Amino acid sequence: MTPVIETAGLTKRYRHTTALADCSVRVPAGRIVGLVGPNGAGKTTLLGLTCGLIAPTAGTISVLGDRPAAGAAQLARVGFVAQDAPAYATLSVADHLRLGARLNPRWDMPLAEGRVRRLGLDPAQKAGRLSGGQRAQLALTVAAAKRAELLILDEPVAALDPLARNAFLRDLGEFAAELGVTVVLSSHLLGDVERVCDHLIVLAAGRVQLAGDVADLLAVHYRLTGDPAGLPAVAEVVHAETTGRDRTAIVRSPEPVPGAERASLEDVGLAYMTRALEGHR
Amino acid sequence: MIWLTWRQFRTQSLVALGSLAALAGYLVLLALQSRHAYATDIVNCVPAECASARRAFAESFGGQFTVLGGLLVVVPGLIGIFWGAPLIARELEEKTDRLVWNQSVPRTRWLAVKLGLLTVAAAAVAGVFSLLLTWSASRYDLVMGERFGVLNFAARNLVPAGYAAFAFVLGAVAGLLVRRTLPAMAITLAVFAAAQILMPSLVRAHLMPPVSATVTFTEDTMARSDLMGVSDTRAWIDGYTMPGAWSLSSRSQIFNADGSAFTAQQAHQCDGNGPQETMACTARLNLHFGYTYQPADRYWRFQWIELALFGGLTVLLAGVGFWAIRRYSG
Repeated sequence: MTPVIETAGLTKRYRHTTALADCSVRVPAGRIVGLVGPNGAGKTTLLGLTCGLIAPTAGTISVLGDRPAAGAAQLARVGFVAQDAPAYATLSVADHLRLGARLNPRWDMPLAEGRVRRLGLDPAQKAGRLSGGQRAQLALTVAAAKRAELLILDEPVAALDPLARNAFLRDLGEFAAELGVTVVLSSHLLGDVERVCDHLIVLAAGRVQLAGDVADLLAVHYRLTGDPAGLPAVAEVVHAETTGRDRTAIVRSPEPVPGAERASLEDVGLAYMTRALEGHR
Repeated sequence: MIWLTWRQFRTQSLVALGSLAALAGYLVLLALQSRHAYATDIVNCVPAECASARRAFAESFGGQFTVLGGLLVVVPGLIGIFWGAPLIARELEEKTDRLVWNQSVPRTRWLAVKLGLLTVAAAAVAGVFSLLLTWSASRYDLVMGERFGVLNFAARNLVPAGYAAFAFVLGAVAGLLVRRTLPAMAITLAVFAAAQILMPSLVRAHLMPPVSATVTFTEDTMARSDLMGVSDTRAWIDGYTMPGAWSLSSRSQIFNADGSAFTAQQAHQCDGNGPQETMACTARLNLHFGYTYQPADRYWRFQWIELALFGGLTVLLAGVGFWAIRRYSG
């Protein structure tokens, strides 16, 4: 099966900074992919490259087997909601749906209108007067009703309060399963990602630190408190931290680690990010 | 895309239509008034009073037509600043480019539809205003006879449509390049103003090679000039204008038939007996002077050339826009 996103040596440099360095990832189809990393890790850059808003400095990227934004047909296959879910402040909710209908060949108006109704959005309301959560929902609706094969969401819940955040993620999970789309969403919070994602990419310092299906990752990571003496030879300490007298290590090991418990996704993600940032410094 | 273009442009187009309608009403009123005054006061004037009738006519309508002409010169600039500059820059500022460029319409097509439709709208607004003003001011222009005047040329017939198209695309492309509305507005204003100043002062006169002619000094000559000056060694004429032509020489030295300089000494032989007799006497001396000008019958060629020139600049700028939007990256 062709991967939805495949990059090789993907690099984006701005005048003085390297936003993304030598990034090689493969995102399999049908997943909900969480792209996590601290602020400035290069998440937005990677997503921008994926939908073709940004052109790479070096390396290659192929999305659904083609160059991002290669033409109308390719654009139709990828839906994108940018950070802060920009919308036209002076256009109404209904206008945004009409915009989607006019500009997309596979537009699904019943889906869009159904979502708007279910979310309780007033079609006559100007987008500029929506709350952050409502605007995020509107943007997601426009992206979803496009009936794309890949949906890219850049920090979709960053501006939402915990309640709206929860509702948004639950809703996202439901309709991703319903439409059978691959979703890539970025967040700087591992908790959000843990809730809906089944594939994880950890980005830090402009580089991919870890990538894989959540189940696979959880299967090989352990949290070890205390003496690391009994580690199997194949094990690798990702990151160790000492608080007071306790030493806690996150260990990657294909074999079981005696005396260790399974690491949570949050433990794993944090360990890789911290290691990357410490190494960077 | 056409729907979206219209939807985003609805307010501006309604404002433009409303303003045009109000202007049209005013221009029709002025047209009727000036036509009436022309028919009663100038066409039927008693020969002795014709000159003062024309002066009175020019005075009563000059102010209004000058202001309207000035407005028409400004309109393309306003279109460039308020329609052109925000067109792309506002999308980039409010990040809606990320919404609209990710629908199933490549951004080059997005730009093509926006620029195409709105450039036509810009040219139409200035063009309709210009044609209305040209029609309305036709009697006034007939009396003034200054079709090549800086303001008159730029505010009549075809060229305003070209200016508007140019200013609009200039604003749009400036917005795309600098990515912010306010600086784009400032750049549009500066570049368009520069074009409006350079065009009449440096460029227009050279669009076609001027004609140099020798003009015989007649009684009519003085009526078409501002001033005649004499000194011990030479004499000159200031501000002579051939009917309907565009004078490129403002001061010309006067010569005798044999090519020698006409001087004060010779001029004195015609002194006395009142100004009219003096002129008749001077005219009999068979004098002449050199004169460089653009003939009246070139007016339309100048209009078309300038329209084409600004049309060409518009296309060139649009090309820069397409190049830039293709390369635009975050």
